[in-house]
Amino acid sequence: MGWWRLARPAVAGGGAGGAAPRAALRSWAMPPDYSGVTFPERTKLKFMEKVPAVPKVQREPRRLRDIRGPSRDATELTQGQYGILALGGGYLHWGHFEMIRLTIGRCMDPKTMFAVWRVPAPHKAVTRKSLGHRMGGGKGPIDHYVTAVKSGRLVVEVGGRCEFEEVKPFLTQVARKLPFPAIPVSRDSLQQMRREEEERRLNNQNPWTFERVVTANMLGMRKYLSPRDLELKGRYWGKYFLKHRV
Amino acid sequence: MHLQRHKLMALTEYLAPRPAVPERCLRPAAGPQEEENGYARLLRRQVEEVFRDSRMIAVCQYNSMPGDDMVLMRHYLRKHNIEVKFFLNEIVRPVLSQSRYKNLLPLFVGRNILLVSPETKAKEMLRVLKGVPQVNLLGACIDDTILSRQGVENFAKLPPLEASQGQTVGALALLPSQTCSLLQHGAAHLTALLDRHIRQLRDGAGEGGTPAGPEPAQSPGAP
Repeated sequence: MGWWRLARPAVAGGGAGGAAPRAALRSWAMPPDYSGVTFPERTKLKFMEKVPAVPKVQREPRRLRDIRGPSRDATELTQGQYGILALGGGYLHWGHFEMIRLTIGRCMDPKTMFAVWRVPAPHKAVTRKSLGHRMGGGKGPIDHYVTAVKSGRLVVEVGGRCEFEEVKPFLTQVARKLPFPAIPVSRDSLQQMRREEEERRLNNQNPWTFERVVTANMLGMRKYLSPRDLELKGRYWGKYFLKHRV
Repeated sequence: MHLQRHKLMALTEYLAPRPAVPERCLRPAAGPQEEENGYARLLRRQVEEVFRDSRMIAVCQYNSMPGDDMVLMRHYLRKHNIEVKFFLNEIVRPVLSQSRYKNLLPLFVGRNILLVSPETKAKEMLRVLKGVPQVNLLGACIDDTILSRQGVENFAKLPPLEASQGQTVGALALLPSQTCSLLQHGAAHLTALLDRHIRQLRDGAGEGGTPAGPEPAQSPGAP
């Protein structure tokens, strides 16, 4: 209990006199409480097939609108505590899936952490014409399968008896390699991000907002804008999510 | 992007709020106060108990000593029922500033220890501390009286309480003990004079025969 047993230099306590370095009372932080964490049966990421079980016969149109705009699915953390959030749209193919699975499988501890997929296996067929041919001759054969990811969607979720600082390094490593911008998030950081967005929207000093101009069709702006810009409100452009815009 | 869309995007950009007084010119808010540490509360309670239960509290400067010297010093002090206590300054200072021992605050700066005891054996404590050069007495609070080092030495030189009580009682009882002899002084003096007179007469009569019968024994009569 005596002060000479405490480690030096310690955190400065109240405004007591004396020259630094001083010993002070050590405050013991409570260890984090992981009582509500339930582990799934398999803690490692499932292997994703390159080609769906029933390969598609009918070649489907490109439909790039599955990349555009904000995501409706998998926007919240459900099973795990941390995840990778996509900040742009893009396609994930089997190579990306393998990279994610192997990197996370290598860096995490399967006894104390678990990881789950939040994107389905590749199901959208992408066709490619053979190289060096002129245009025409019909649609090319199916080359590979991809999954479409919109911005605001979670790709993987990680949880278990671990802290964000433990998980962040390898999640950033994975996020950098994805074809769209992505960041690792935790529950708190996600809430913080949403709160900041809302604050920016509210304390914007500019009286002219994209939403206002588009809904009122000021100066006939809708001639130059897409009908979807009513929902997208100038924050999305194609597959890009414009974070700096309000 | 179409030129008009470019223009619209440039027009509708985010403008950050600019308060009249920039935030960096204002004092930062006091921040969230750290919640009460249960351990600190326990230590404060112990300090309060020590100050309440002990009659003698001496504050000494403590320089680092070899461990076995420390153990020996504690042993010798323990024999006289004096305990050595270590408290953190940052805990003791708030407790003292809110109690009536405010004047002891300047002592609790730097490395110090407390010697507490329910009895006031200053002489033995000083003798032990004289043999330990690393612990120097700074001040003491004995029976709710704050004493400096000199005061403690003077206090140690005083005779023990029982002896001084006995002295006081003796001094007070001296006068009443003389009352009886004072009252009987006159009669005793007269009796002594008469006895001497009788003895003189008896000696005189024994030398010159016995001319007269023995003197009628006249008792001095009831005074």
